[in-house]
Amino acid sequence: MNAVILERRIKLVFFLAALILLLLAVAKIENFMISLILGFVTSYMLAPLVDLLERKGFSRQWATVIPFLGLTIGIVIAIQLVVPMLTEQVATLKTNLPKYVEVATGLFTRAESEVVGIIKTVYPGDITSTVQPHILGWATDFFQGLPNYISKSLMILFLTPLLAFFILLDGRQFVRSFLTLVPNNFFELALNLNHQIGSQIGGFIRARFVQSTLVGAVIWIGLMILGFPYALVLAVVGGILNVIPYLGPLIAVVPAVLISLSGGTDGSELAWIAIIYTTAQVLDAALITPFVVARIVNLHPVTVILVIIVGSQMMGVLGMIICIPIFSALKVSTIAIYKHLTDFRS
Amino acid sequence: MVNFIWENLFEKAEKGQSVRKALKENILFQDLSLRELRVLENIVNVRNFRPGECVFKQGEVGVGMYIINSGSVNVTVEELDSNGKNVKITHVTQLKKNGFFGELALVEDNGRRSATCTAHEESVLIGFFKPDLMELVQRNPTAGVKILLRLGEVLGTRLKETTARITMLKKEVTL
Repeated sequence: MNAVILERRIKLVFFLAALILLLLAVAKIENFMISLILGFVTSYMLAPLVDLLERKGFSRQWATVIPFLGLTIGIVIAIQLVVPMLTEQVATLKTNLPKYVEVATGLFTRAESEVVGIIKTVYPGDITSTVQPHILGWATDFFQGLPNYISKSLMILFLTPLLAFFILLDGRQFVRSFLTLVPNNFFELALNLNHQIGSQIGGFIRARFVQSTLVGAVIWIGLMILGFPYALVLAVVGGILNVIPYLGPLIAVVPAVLISLSGGTDGSELAWIAIIYTTAQVLDAALITPFVVARIVNLHPVTVILVIIVGSQMMGVLGMIICIPIFSALKVSTIAIYKHLTDFRS
Repeated sequence: MVNFIWENLFEKAEKGQSVRKALKENILFQDLSLRELRVLENIVNVRNFRPGECVFKQGEVGVGMYIINSGSVNVTVEELDSNGKNVKITHVTQLKKNGFFGELALVEDNGRRSATCTAHEESVLIGFFKPDLMELVQRNPTAGVKILLRLGEVLGTRLKETTARITMLKKEVTL
């Protein structure tokens, strides 16, 4: 066999073996995949700052260390200021939960009586008795599982910054070393693909982060002005759920509506809640989307629903939140690979 | 930090110097300071080619340029003969150590390679591609501007040469 072809094949085998081993390690080590994903997200968000510091004349090491020092100080301040407020709000929410479940069930009962009146013959079952245990079950599971989530989160909280730090410091060198295994005839293609996918995913993550922060901040400020309870918790939930297109903002408003209804609102509070949540979305659409529209992957509503169903079945609530960014990243990568493969070769 | 256990440190130092020297001698990078050259050295891609191995083919989308660190490269062009049926391969030139080619791809958007380049003997080529240039511009804009100015100069010179040749050929055809 020709020496060039043999060398190419050996290189390709080693490259694929290294890739498979890497993917296996990511999948098999507990908490590693989620830490790695969050590590990538953190590194993509800090990368512009690291590059800026490098442009100012700092070495790559210092340009990486400085943002992490800043981040650590920020986290310490947040722990001192925000976490006690957040913990207090979560504890109160836990105490008042049965009241909110009762309100939700009441809503279902009223809806049921109206629906049964219309479709009595079509659906003879009792919706309330079916739905109530589910809602109570989900809510109880969530709060009972909270210590477990927190212990898992501590591991992830330790691993994520560590991985993010090394991705920023050595990520490029690691990719470069990895690319040396690619045979010469695929090298330009692999290098260009890596660059395209990296820049598109980076842009997407940064855009989503800015959007979620803006939405969360608007909800927090609005609810605080309104004097609404759990403003911070609801803002955090609203910000996180904002990563789910179409459905996220709708799901985010539900807890606020339930809390308001349980307080015996006269309707004006509900109107204000609607205004606050709508303002957050309008500001997002007016200020952020036009500037980053090219970086946001547009997904069809049906695709979003299907992806969320798959995500929830695979990883529960966490799956629902992370499935859209992961799917979007996969979509960006697939389009880039397809476009490249069709355009690259003559 | 990556691979530091596995690599022969002395060999790396030698290889690094050789790459840096080759970069410094190239017209595109001759304005860079030592510090900028060190950054660039960690960005470029050193590739080994066997005799007869193709570097890139005519018609492929080009991503960047190559500098010959050792060995030599044949440049050929495939074109249809006067009947428009058979492909005729014309040998254009042979590039030797410190020669460079494919630099137009650094500024072109999805531009296609105008010739095929093949390693004539065991060759070590330094690849500098568009993603590398973008990375350098982001991390060290001063170095990026220096390279782009030189690149403009090289492309301008080639354009002048081509224009002069076309003018000469036109004159010959008219006579």
